[in-house]
Amino acid sequence: MAPLLRVEASTKRFGGLAANRDISLAMEAGEIVGLIGPNGAGKTTLFNCVTGYMHPDDGRIVFDGRDITHTRPERICRLGVARTWQVVRAFGRMTALENVVCGALERTNRVVEARVRATELLEFTELRGKHDAPAATLTLADKKRLEIARALATRPKLLLLDEAMSGLTPIEAAAAVQLVRRIHEELKVTMCVVEHVMEVVMPLSHRVVVLDYGVKIADGTPQAIVRDEQVIRAYLGERRAAH
Amino acid sequence: MARIALVIGAIAAIVYPIPLQLQGTTYYQTVGFLVLVNAMLGVGWNVIGGWAGQFDFGPQVFFAVGAYTSALLYVKLGVDAWLGLPVAVAAAALICAVLTYPLTRLRGHYFAISTVAIWMIAQPIGATWEFIGAAQGLFIPVKPRTGVVASALSLQFSGPTKAMGYYYAALVLFAFTLALMAVVERSKLGYYFRAIRDDQEAAEGIGIDSRLYKVIARSITAAVFAAAGVLYAFWALSVFPEQVLELNWSTLPIMATVVGGIGRLWGPVLGAVILIPISQIMSTTLGTGPLAGRGIDLIVYGLIIIVIAAFRPTGLLSLPWSRWFRPGPATA
Repeated sequence: MAPLLRVEASTKRFGGLAANRDISLAMEAGEIVGLIGPNGAGKTTLFNCVTGYMHPDDGRIVFDGRDITHTRPERICRLGVARTWQVVRAFGRMTALENVVCGALERTNRVVEARVRATELLEFTELRGKHDAPAATLTLADKKRLEIARALATRPKLLLLDEAMSGLTPIEAAAAVQLVRRIHEELKVTMCVVEHVMEVVMPLSHRVVVLDYGVKIADGTPQAIVRDEQVIRAYLGERRAAH
Repeated sequence: MARIALVIGAIAAIVYPIPLQLQGTTYYQTVGFLVLVNAMLGVGWNVIGGWAGQFDFGPQVFFAVGAYTSALLYVKLGVDAWLGLPVAVAAAALICAVLTYPLTRLRGHYFAISTVAIWMIAQPIGATWEFIGAAQGLFIPVKPRTGVVASALSLQFSGPTKAMGYYYAALVLFAFTLALMAVVERSKLGYYFRAIRDDQEAAEGIGIDSRLYKVIARSITAAVFAAAGVLYAFWALSVFPEQVLELNWSTLPIMATVVGGIGRLWGPVLGAVILIPISQIMSTTLGTGPLAGRGIDLIVYGLIIIVIAAFRPTGLLSLPWSRWFRPGPATA
């Protein structure tokens, strides 16, 4: 079976700096892939290229058999890719429910139907009781959950989570990990999870891709990654030494 | 509570001209007419400015498109106002869509100034294009009508009931616009407009084509302005560039919207009900007599708006009305 997402030698430059250089990776349907790397490694740039907010200067991105290298974000969403944002981007003046309704309207024109779907997803993401709260008044943890609910409402095949756990307390982060597991198990959504905190990604991911200075330096099971010489040197080195 | 206010407001709006008519005055019916026209324009502007969050300072172009289209149809082809109205509305929406699509590449202040630029381009076109009468414009002759029904059906009222006739015509158009916008607000469009306003990138990420929906929002605004332009043309019995392309056709509705509550369906209505009579009272009291011609009325009017804006930047509709008017003693 062809992979759900295939990134082929993607390069994205900003002036003289290559934020992504010659990156290739594939994601199979049903996987949870962790995408890690230090700050500035090019994780968000890769997300932006896959979701159409940026277009690679070289290389190709294929989703579900279609070339989406130069496709606009709203088209890519329609094809089945949804994302969340490193810095939350909830619709602040709309209520939590209305935020998710906007996502659900991607698959229906009927607001009544979209509200039913949105209500289900607020239940699923454990935001019940916050339906009518303006999104701007929610806590960071709730805003991140709301973004996930809104993304899920578009019925994605592939969900890209950009640091869904950063900035959260340990308890909130654990709940977020739990939510990611439930999305995978109950909704059968393929996921790519960006984090720069290894401890969160390792137990969650089936496979881990490591970026460093815009280049892919490793791709394998979490067990293999923690033993990879290059990864240890580039990314885990200091942390390992401190132990 | 809101429902009671709605019923009282509706009854007041319907009954309003009757005692005035019995007294034989017409001035206040005309003030009412201007309130309704500006409320309608405000409700229309709220779609692009309030919901979609794109500051549009050039909707008066489509007011002019509506006025000119219906006047041309009437003068050249003998088409009555109500039949010309849908044509004028469609023409304005279409022209707006074509003009706005390229502008949607621009954001924020740049979008705003580009709407002003289109208005500036429209002015010399209106002033020089012979087909639409150039600077002299078009005059709309009154055909003799027998009876109220014939007047209403042709949107041509004359004589002592003229002011009242146009008041009710404005009320019908206003109510229709408001009802239609209430439907838009609760539809997919209403959700998508507000999503784009709150965060355009995030909106695109959930499948919203931001350029398409901005064009739709502005075309709805243009359609409302065009409908009001038709009404105004037949009230004024003439259409000429300086009059229908006047900046006030956008600034007054925008001020009404902001003062009443931007992004709220009833905001522009409340704003127009407050601001338009104040402006009329100012010009008839301070604008006449020893102080006439010095713009004192406009200065005082401007100060009133500044005070309201400073006191309640989110609009008067955002005041805790339901708490003040809650039946029984306030608790909690």
